[in-house]
Amino acid sequence: MNRIIKLCFSMILLAASSVPAMAAAPVELSSDVFIEKQEKRPDGSFSTVLAKPSMILPGDQLVFVVRYRNAGNKPATNFSVTNPIPAAITFSGTSDGAEVVSIDGGKSWGKLSQLRVNNADGSSRNALMTDVTHLKWQMNQMLAAGDAGKLIFRGVVK
Amino acid sequence: MTNQKHLSHFASYHLHGLRIIAYCSTAALTLLASSNAYAAGTLAGTDITNIATASYETGGTTVDIDSNPVVIKVDELLDVTAVSGDPGDVITTNGAQNVVSTFRITNTGNGPESFRITPNVVNGGDDFDPALVQVVIDSNNNGVYDPGVDTAYVAGTNDPLLAPDQIIRVFVLTNVPATQNNGDRAQVRITTAATTGTGAPGTTFAGAGQGGGNAVVGSTGADADASGFLLINAASVSLVKSATVLDPFGGTTSVPGSIITYTLTATVSGTGTLNNLAINDPIPASSQYVASSMTLTGGALTDAADADQGNFNGSRVSVSLGNVAAGQSRIVTFKVRVQ
Repeated sequence: MNRIIKLCFSMILLAASSVPAMAAAPVELSSDVFIEKQEKRPDGSFSTVLAKPSMILPGDQLVFVVRYRNAGNKPATNFSVTNPIPAAITFSGTSDGAEVVSIDGGKSWGKLSQLRVNNADGSSRNALMTDVTHLKWQMNQMLAAGDAGKLIFRGVVK
Repeated sequence: MTNQKHLSHFASYHLHGLRIIAYCSTAALTLLASSNAYAAGTLAGTDITNIATASYETGGTTVDIDSNPVVIKVDELLDVTAVSGDPGDVITTNGAQNVVSTFRITNTGNGPESFRITPNVVNGGDDFDPALVQVVIDSNNNGVYDPGVDTAYVAGTNDPLLAPDQIIRVFVLTNVPATQNNGDRAQVRITTAATTGTGAPGTTFAGAGQGGGNAVVGSTGADADASGFLLINAASVSLVKSATVLDPFGGTTSVPGSIITYTLTATVSGTGTLNNLAINDPIPASSQYVASSMTLTGGALTDAADADQGNFNGSRVSVSLGNVAAGQSRIVTFKVRVQ
């Protein structure tokens, strides 16, 4: 096991070090995470604020932000963004609702309302947010040079 | 725990869809699935990593790119519960030694944590205070105090280290004073506290969590207490009387001249000992005590008020049984002649 672990680590390092090289690609993609916190206003009421996640506990609400930008000088077509839901996170929705989701590790895709989960006894039920393993946004329009945007999804720490 | 932390780390990388480490994933995913089952949620020290990937076409070729990985670490929640492990009051008697009160402590946090245990036998609102002997950890985890096998607890030396959801039993041994009244109760109490720290929910101990994150006091305050009770319940005695008849003709009819043998069985139940137990039985009317017919558990007794336990004073038999422990019986017989 140890050897495999070390191997995994070195591969992860390789993968990580390849990220900067991708910066040369025309389209840039960045990921960020925030925690939703209730902050007390001076008048005693509460407001929800996004904060840097300095402390994370089970049950915390996280907001993941994926930013994209066409930094090149050519348009990009068939642009899609895929985001696997981290294992310790339960998906709890996106801000635009334009995504398709997978509940089987990215093999098949669809709107959440159209997906069904097969039970062990042969019956099936409607898929829930807790079943979601992957998100995908498929942009139908061309991403022109200089175009940018962001995609937002929420999750709860299991 | 370090292993689990590392493996979940791998799992999160696997989920980025990096094919080159895909073969590492099976074991990691299994472990993650089990870690999700913890009552308190994701284990402290778990890294949550998010990477998005994008795909697009430009100049006729398809390009795949990954975002930067964003990694956050799950902090440690400090939570604990404690309950009495006794089904009810622990029934005991005056002067009893090493009376066992059982408690169960559960780590309801999401990280491994050691817990300090403080016993308290001096409590208000009860009838007496037993003397604390020691606290013992149920080290063989069988739920029963095993003298010489289970480990004595020394605060600060062997504070039990509990994994998330792990339960440990501890025994508080006490001695009961010699002169309590029947029905008196005593409270035996433990307090247990996370050694990392306690406080109001939300209190944070920076960097003190499993895996280098923070440790945060959860809803229990990271401490808990539980009470059990001792109850003085002295023994009780039951007396059963039976008779056999032998008539002058060898039959069993009760006619003048028949001999009736009475058998009195005294049984002490409950716990403890009944002291100075005595049986008195008047001789029925129309019958006459048969001299020197008293026996105690098979041994003959004299009728005189003397050194032995038996005495017939002309109207009743009396047998002093002395101190009889619970669970024991004494059988007294004597004979009368029907007039």
